[in-house]
Amino acid sequence: MNSILGYLGWGALSVLGAYALAGIALGRGESINSIWLVVASASIYILGFRFYGKFIAAKVMALNNDRATPAERLRDGHDFEPTNKWIVFGHHFAAIAGPGPLVGPTLAAQFGYLPGTLWIIIGAVLGGCVQDFVILFCSMRRDGKSLGQMAKEEIGRVGGFTALLTVLLIMIILLAVVALVVVNALKGSPWGTFTIAATMPIAVFMGLYLRYWRPGKVLEVSVIGFGLVVASIFAGQWVSHSSTWAPWFTLSGIALAFCVIIYGFFASALPVWLLLAPRDYLSTFVKLGVVLMLGVCILFVRPELQMPPFTRFIDGTGPIFAGKIFPFCFITIACGAISGFHSLISSGTTPKMIAKEWHAWPVGYGSMALESFVAIMAMIAACVLEPGVYFAVNSPAGIVGATADQAVATISSWGFPVSAATMAQLATDVGEESLFYRTGGAPSLALGMAHIFASSIGGKAILGFWYHFAIMFEALFILTIIDAGTRVGRFMLQDLLGHVYKPLGRTGWMPGVIGASAAVVLAWGYFLIQGVRDPLGGINSLWPLFGIANQLLAAIALCVATTILIKMHGARYMWITCIPLSWLVVVCYTAAWQKIFSDLPRVGFLAQARVLEQQIAAGTVPAAQMSAVQAQIFNNQLDAVVCGVFLVLVTTILLDSVRLWYGILSGSVEAHVTETPFVLSRLKAEEI
Amino acid sequence: MRSLKRAAQLFLALLRELSDENAYARHLKVHNRTHSPEEWRHFCEHRLKAKYSNAKCC
Repeated sequence: MNSILGYLGWGALSVLGAYALAGIALGRGESINSIWLVVASASIYILGFRFYGKFIAAKVMALNNDRATPAERLRDGHDFEPTNKWIVFGHHFAAIAGPGPLVGPTLAAQFGYLPGTLWIIIGAVLGGCVQDFVILFCSMRRDGKSLGQMAKEEIGRVGGFTALLTVLLIMIILLAVVALVVVNALKGSPWGTFTIAATMPIAVFMGLYLRYWRPGKVLEVSVIGFGLVVASIFAGQWVSHSSTWAPWFTLSGIALAFCVIIYGFFASALPVWLLLAPRDYLSTFVKLGVVLMLGVCILFVRPELQMPPFTRFIDGTGPIFAGKIFPFCFITIACGAISGFHSLISSGTTPKMIAKEWHAWPVGYGSMALESFVAIMAMIAACVLEPGVYFAVNSPAGIVGATADQAVATISSWGFPVSAATMAQLATDVGEESLFYRTGGAPSLALGMAHIFASSIGGKAILGFWYHFAIMFEALFILTIIDAGTRVGRFMLQDLLGHVYKPLGRTGWMPGVIGASAAVVLAWGYFLIQGVRDPLGGINSLWPLFGIANQLLAAIALCVATTILIKMHGARYMWITCIPLSWLVVVCYTAAWQKIFSDLPRVGFLAQARVLEQQIAAGTVPAAQMSAVQAQIFNNQLDAVVCGVFLVLVTTILLDSVRLWYGILSGSVEAHVTETPFVLSRLKAEEI
Repeated sequence: MRSLKRAAQLFLALLRELSDENAYARHLKVHNRTHSPEEWRHFCEHRLKAKYSNAKCC
């Protein structure tokens, strides 16, 4: 009887999911309610988790709760500790949820709501969840080894070194991109700048409180810190109205970029307990709280989507970033569908906390499904805005015109009507001077979130508070990524330099610390300044570069996963990881090729450099702008080289993997599975 | 009511895990120590060093 009810329940959910998906995919001509996206995505995630995820867990991985996990066998009370599965789930979700699933869908909304939504759902169920789950499983069966270690052991030394170098390069681009998102959100905004600046002394206060006044009371100080941050949002409003203080916090993009660079340097060299750790605690709690609140508010408000399913920009002429829907939609949305960075988390702390092997199923597959749902919410938040407003906020002056009147005329001529008065009123409502040219995705996402929050609590009267609350929420964890990323980049660089001169490899040797921190900060700072000065807004060149890099890292992770599956089962189940791998290879290689070699100046780096060279040769560049244009030419050439380096690195690991797969499948290479031997679990259910 | 209480306990345990308070409690238990400001600082040194040797996800 129960099984019949079960079949009926799953059947009903399948029908509901298919009906909702058909509703959003086939609906044309009238706006649809966001609840359709919620129902379609939630149904498909649940079905994917229950059937596809369970199939992989049971048949492919043969998870076995009688087999002791590393958390049990190597239990040390520090890194290895068997932990309740829902706590590991929350821990893993908090670790993988960054700005990517929020910003990517917001930018990709320029194609309309449909392409991005379908990619987020399908990409996650067949790609992202599978990657996270399989890498978690592989690491769990290998004493919690990292992706780099597994690449080295399973594929070879070349694979291991390539993985390390790729991660370092990706981090430099990632840090530049996320810093650019913050800079673009705060430029000319005294309210936002004050609020974010205030989080630094608040974090230092929290660090001192924990170190000297109330050691160990992290939750207590986090509550105090959150109260202070909310107070700083109100204080920011007062600052923005003060004729004395507002000019101090009204900064240009370049000034903000230098502030972030200087901050990044000090944050990576300062003791972790003073700034990074307390802010990380705060940002983790704020992140989880806001994601939960956004989900509840979307269900409560059920806003209509104003964006059409497709826009005219699927042809590649989009103002936010150039390039056709294929491949650029699929690299713009990375973290919401599939993200290579997750493989670092799945082979980091999480496998050392899994108490029973079957817990890897909800943790690995389920957490990614939830992250993908966050991306759907970001897509909803972006698409509830009037399209004209969305494009006015996200389009750079170099595309829509340098004045408000020019911008609204250009955007309205695309079929997305908007007026200067509407934009001015909206800016006043959220306490900003202007909302034009706020490229990067964060401000439009904050506007969408503020709209949803204000419709639930407080109404239009506190739209400004919610807007700056959303900006604070985004900037808080982006700055944490900058701190932590610069520090990790410093460790990796010191590790490499230590082979050249031993003292440089010591993480406690001050000249080495300062030199390596400066080198990493200068590397991402260079790309940040490049993005801020770019007349096309920076996002046009840097976000695709980041997307390509991140997806290529996913390709490396899937190469490792496929190698392990082939060693375990031969060719039988290799399709599970080969399907997303093949898709990523096609998407990334096409995107990278177009970004380097396309003849269209807005798409191809080299074509853009050629156009600028021709302008100099024709004498149409004023003398005052000559050095800036020459810098743009160099930057475009540099971006092309970086893109090419990514391709070479991943091609190396891909060819190395294919060589190995062929050897194993043809019988010329022995399939040596490097799992740790079976040990019977003695962990009792009540212990976890 | 019981499942609500269980959910609340799990949520609090998650917050304590995310804030490293659980890890600190385990540290005290494993090393048979009692809480003191010095012990917390000693724990933090090891814990935070390991925690921030990995990149934060994007």
